[in-house]
Amino acid sequence: MLSIFLSHQRKSFWRSRNRGSSIAGQIVLGFFMLYFFSLALGAGLGMSHLLAYFFPNQDVIKSFNGIILYYFAFDFIMRLQFQELPTLSIIPYLHLRISRSKIVRFLNVKALFSAFNLWPFFIFLPFCFIKILPEYGALAMLMYIVSIFSVMVFNNYLVLYIKRKSITNTLYTFFGLVVIAAFAALEYYKVISIMAASDFVFRAIAAHPYYAFAFTLAAVAIFYLNSTFLRKNLYVEELSSKQEKKGSTDYAFLNRFGKVGELAALELKLILRHKRPRSAVILGFFFLFYGFIFYKEKAINSDAFGQMMFGAIFMTGVSIIIYGQFMFAWQSAHFDGILANKINFKDYIKAKFLLFTIGCTIITVLASFYGFLSPKLLLLHLAAYFYNIGFGTVVVLYLATLNYKRLDITKAASFNYQGTGATQWLLMFPYALTPILMYVPFGILNKPYWGLAVVGIFGLIMLLMRGFWVNYIAKRLEKQRYKIAEGFRE
Amino acid sequence: MILEVKKLQKVYGDKTVVNIEDLQIAAGETVGLVGNNGAGKTTFFRMLLDLIRPTTGEVLSKGQNVMQNDTWKDYTASFLDEGFLIDYLTPEEYFIFIGSLHNLSVADVSAYLNQYGEFFNGEILNSGKYIRDFSKGNQVKVGIAAALMQKPEILILDEPFANLDPTTQIRLKNLLKAQAGNMTTFISSHDLNHVTDVCSRIVLVEKGKVIKDFKTDENTLKELESYFSA
Repeated sequence: MLSIFLSHQRKSFWRSRNRGSSIAGQIVLGFFMLYFFSLALGAGLGMSHLLAYFFPNQDVIKSFNGIILYYFAFDFIMRLQFQELPTLSIIPYLHLRISRSKIVRFLNVKALFSAFNLWPFFIFLPFCFIKILPEYGALAMLMYIVSIFSVMVFNNYLVLYIKRKSITNTLYTFFGLVVIAAFAALEYYKVISIMAASDFVFRAIAAHPYYAFAFTLAAVAIFYLNSTFLRKNLYVEELSSKQEKKGSTDYAFLNRFGKVGELAALELKLILRHKRPRSAVILGFFFLFYGFIFYKEKAINSDAFGQMMFGAIFMTGVSIIIYGQFMFAWQSAHFDGILANKINFKDYIKAKFLLFTIGCTIITVLASFYGFLSPKLLLLHLAAYFYNIGFGTVVVLYLATLNYKRLDITKAASFNYQGTGATQWLLMFPYALTPILMYVPFGILNKPYWGLAVVGIFGLIMLLMRGFWVNYIAKRLEKQRYKIAEGFRE
Repeated sequence: MILEVKKLQKVYGDKTVVNIEDLQIAAGETVGLVGNNGAGKTTFFRMLLDLIRPTTGEVLSKGQNVMQNDTWKDYTASFLDEGFLIDYLTPEEYFIFIGSLHNLSVADVSAYLNQYGEFFNGEILNSGKYIRDFSKGNQVKVGIAAALMQKPEILILDEPFANLDPTTQIRLKNLLKAQAGNMTTFISSHDLNHVTDVCSRIVLVEKGKVIKDFKTDENTLKELESYFSA
């Protein structure tokens, strides 16, 4: 029976509607996956060097022991946000002559098919073979693997159990991340040390390998808890995340913009009430840390804004880039309604500009904490901000008129590449290269601030020309409307 | 003539889905569009609403081509399918949004909705649900009520009776009959009883072509039944 279920799952994956519609997108996605897995494998193989680099005054095994629990704490939070409940897939089987326990078993097995259950193998196993084996011997190594595997399974089913029992929301995830960060900070200032605790636990396993079965017991316990809960509550409406009562909302601050504000409010609700755009927005906040990669001390000191430009453009414009790449398609489910109702194309486009401007402004203000690194970065951000709201918005909306791919926003967000086409990938090039090309000549002439000024002023001029761009894009949309509407109806 | 259709054709590949030589609808008429699946009813309605570009021909609303300007949207309301609903809004938010497009204040909208308490059967308003969480029948009710709220001169509904419960079907018929004369109504339906009851004129389409166009009288239902059973 289980194998039949799994073969149905495999078919549903390969035969899903949006597959094959864009092979290019699939290939790019495949490369991304490959890239991430090779990255994880690389981290796993180079673990001893990495640990020695990050914790120079410590024995590598101690550091390794120390990070395991941290990893799984982080893993837990991430699962809470991204791991899907495999519930809907059982609907067609519930009324058939299949026993409950078989269905529960199927749900349990299906839950193991998650990328989260692959990472630990890549990240931790190599080290076990390379370092633990020679140090403590085969039995201890085996038990290390058993305990890591057990914690992983424990996390897997605990998250599902929590998700089934209660309403989890993004706030908890954020809160969890803050807690982890707080522990890391306490660790850094040597107040409390989770690393020491983690090290203590795994040293005990090294000394008495059979202690590892404690983790296994915990995993088995949570597995049974989950299964019992499932067997008792095998009703689809009870298993999917619980519903809260929905209320009407009014965004007073948008009212002053009249009809345009009305449309912007509509879209804001769209973002907040669907998983996929919501996670796009959350992703945007994560990109606020992008600056730490790009803003190197050397680059800051030598005014090398060219190198940092990409980071700044991407960071301040992330809401435009990430949300804008699927522009109009977010509304594909009711695009007919938008066309048939009394909505002026100009107002419609203006609402998009308004929303982008608000999003970009918020992110730019938040990103100003980089001013602590160097006040120069604020100038860079200002230039990037003007570029993004002045020109970036235009690029994104222009490309949106070429996007005819329907997007089902009710579907899950992570690793969902429906609606992704070549346009989305091409978008990044003109968007990010234009300001860099504008800056480069001034960089070469060693006039970095002039370069920034040019990028900023260019953005400002485009911003002043917004009326023109609104007309232009509204005209394009008017011309393309049948094609877009047809694509969205698919 | 409030609506005129001239030489309207829609061709997909080598298949002509809609091919209407000439159709004139006078203000105040209630017209029913009847035909089997694949007769091109929805495609035709979409062209009336400028959602699909006709291959040839034109649709004139009060003498103006619907493709060329938007003034027809001021006096035309429609509900074809769930694609017209913004399903992540609560019904109240949706009504207020649609109202705002026609410059109705929140107070106007709630005053209007109050009359519809019976039609909604207490299930729509203050339900604490988004439109997407409603049953299909209740979604249709929201769509139709939102269309009627716009006090349109032209109302276009695609199979409004499908998915509605019997009580609501009867209420909808009464609503539509009460408007006859002031409002031009164009509906499609598979339910011959309802459509002959409500409409003063029936347009029968087959494979995209108008094959019959006549005023309803007591024999209409029989006539239609014999046509469809043949």
